[in-house]
Amino acid sequence: MGRYRILEHTADMGIEATGETLEELLIQAARGLMAIISGAEALPREERSVEITAGESGELLVNWLNEILFLFDSGGFFPAEFIIEEATENRIKALVGGELFDPERHPVDREIKAATYHQLKIERGEEGWKARVYLDL
Amino acid sequence: MSITVEKIDTCRWRIPRSGKMRAEGLVFASEALMKVLQREEQQALEQVRNVATLPGLVGPSIAMPDIHWGYGFPIGGVAAFDLDEGVVSPGGVGYDINCGVRLLRCALAAAEVRPRLKELADALFRNVPSGVGSHRRDLKLSVQAERQVLKKGARWAVEQGFGAEEDLRHIEEGGAIPGAEPEFVSDRALERGRTQLGTLGSGNHFLEVQQVEEIHDEEAARALGLFQGQLTVTIHTGSRGLGHQVCDDYLRVMLQASRKYGIELPDRQLCCAPLRSPEATQYMGAMACAANFAFANRQLITSWVRESFEQVLGLGPSDLRLSVIYDVCHNIAKWETHTFQGKERRLCVHRKGATRAFPPGHPETPEAYRHVGQPVLIPGDMGRYSYVLVGTSGAFEETFGSTCHGAGRILSRHAAKRQARGRNIEAELAAQGILIRAAGRATVAEEISEAYKDVMEVVGVVQQAGIGKIVARLRPMAVIKG
Repeated sequence: MGRYRILEHTADMGIEATGETLEELLIQAARGLMAIISGAEALPREERSVEITAGESGELLVNWLNEILFLFDSGGFFPAEFIIEEATENRIKALVGGELFDPERHPVDREIKAATYHQLKIERGEEGWKARVYLDL
Repeated sequence: MSITVEKIDTCRWRIPRSGKMRAEGLVFASEALMKVLQREEQQALEQVRNVATLPGLVGPSIAMPDIHWGYGFPIGGVAAFDLDEGVVSPGGVGYDINCGVRLLRCALAAAEVRPRLKELADALFRNVPSGVGSHRRDLKLSVQAERQVLKKGARWAVEQGFGAEEDLRHIEEGGAIPGAEPEFVSDRALERGRTQLGTLGSGNHFLEVQQVEEIHDEEAARALGLFQGQLTVTIHTGSRGLGHQVCDDYLRVMLQASRKYGIELPDRQLCCAPLRSPEATQYMGAMACAANFAFANRQLITSWVRESFEQVLGLGPSDLRLSVIYDVCHNIAKWETHTFQGKERRLCVHRKGATRAFPPGHPETPEAYRHVGQPVLIPGDMGRYSYVLVGTSGAFEETFGSTCHGAGRILSRHAAKRQARGRNIEAELAAQGILIRAAGRATVAEEISEAYKDVMEVVGVVQQAGIGKIVARLRPMAVIKG
């Protein structure tokens, strides 16, 4: 199973994620993102389908995280579960499950402006995938 | 990796050219601040160096005393690029396009308002939306109206009855950067913007009721309408989700453009395009839209600040006279004319975590301030103080008319929370006469004073270097945070 770890720098935060597969890595990175925003639990009562393309895996990861931020920031939607239907290094097709955002039930700890390309790292090793991405808060 | 810095004088340091640098780095810092930078912000110094590798940079890659690690460009950086040879980089502006500060003065003394401060803080917290998902129910924005906001900036808000014509005279660029092209803004950015116009946001953004604690420069203070003990209000926010989306959209465009134009990047976040390319034109058009959105945002919030004061104090606008002293951007790229090495040049000046600081006599300094210089607003942390400065000819000559922008964090959020654990921060601030209202659960602990550099040190360096002149110090009384 993959996992994520929150990285801290003076002014900003990041996510280090691992996964045996690219799918797992993407799910862990998304969980890390939401954990920074809020500790709230939510159920996949509604779904949003997401399709992302990119030139390579690093940009794909950044676009994926920014897509989740977009769902949260623009649509009053609180993402909670991530189902990757298809993932290659250039394309993701996924379903994001979650609830309508309710500040009472989903207390927000902090807002994230965006996932950045700064010192972005994504690599496939013998034990699977590993990535690091920094966020602008 | 250790970065070589050479001391020039008590507040200037040089990062000599090495590797692929096309120019040297110039860092403004005291001995003490440089020690901290070398110990903990090596990466920020490396970023100053990275910026110096970009094509068409004019003069050095400049860093202000509040510099810290950013994305690609350091926060607290200034970089000017030549129209023909240079580039524009969305990372050199940042995600929060036209994040900025607006200062209002009031006819009242702080002491007259102090007895009603609690009600005032509550009213401001209620009337000015802060935190995720919060917005005014009485402000509905159609797609057409949003396009007008992007074109007209603060003027749009004034036309809708939020504030007066005279407010516009005291905003950088009159509250609207020219060249805004809404067709270069994506639907996603427009969608994010629609529900977020007129909102404060969270993190280090704030709304503060303050008192003038100390006047440092009588003449400039008089010109700015500031007096000892006076009540002021500071608004610190930017272009919200619209700006973040514009930045993200154009980083993708610029990643492609950098490959297309063969620009070598030490860090992908520095991706950019030649200023004369279509990609640059599109970004500049979209960036101006986001900047104008931010000006309109601060204009709307100003109107709700006035409304809150009127509600709580039962006074009319002519008694309160809550007028705009100035409104400055500290995340922006702008076309400006500067004299460099004796020649007049048209430059694209990137200020990321840096403030324009035009000197006395400059035509873009509002008439009321032309004899003292453009007001510069430097927020500090919520427990100490903020500063008002004016621009100087020193800044115009040495830093393309730029100075610092704030305090800058010294503790990570985690470290701040650890320091705040077991303490009642609200009560500690209340004991100092500062009320706080915050929407985010973690905000108060993460934003404690100790998490920030002492802004007094930062403005001290700026003044000593002659790239800014201190006018007054403001002390917080009530702080509204997202």
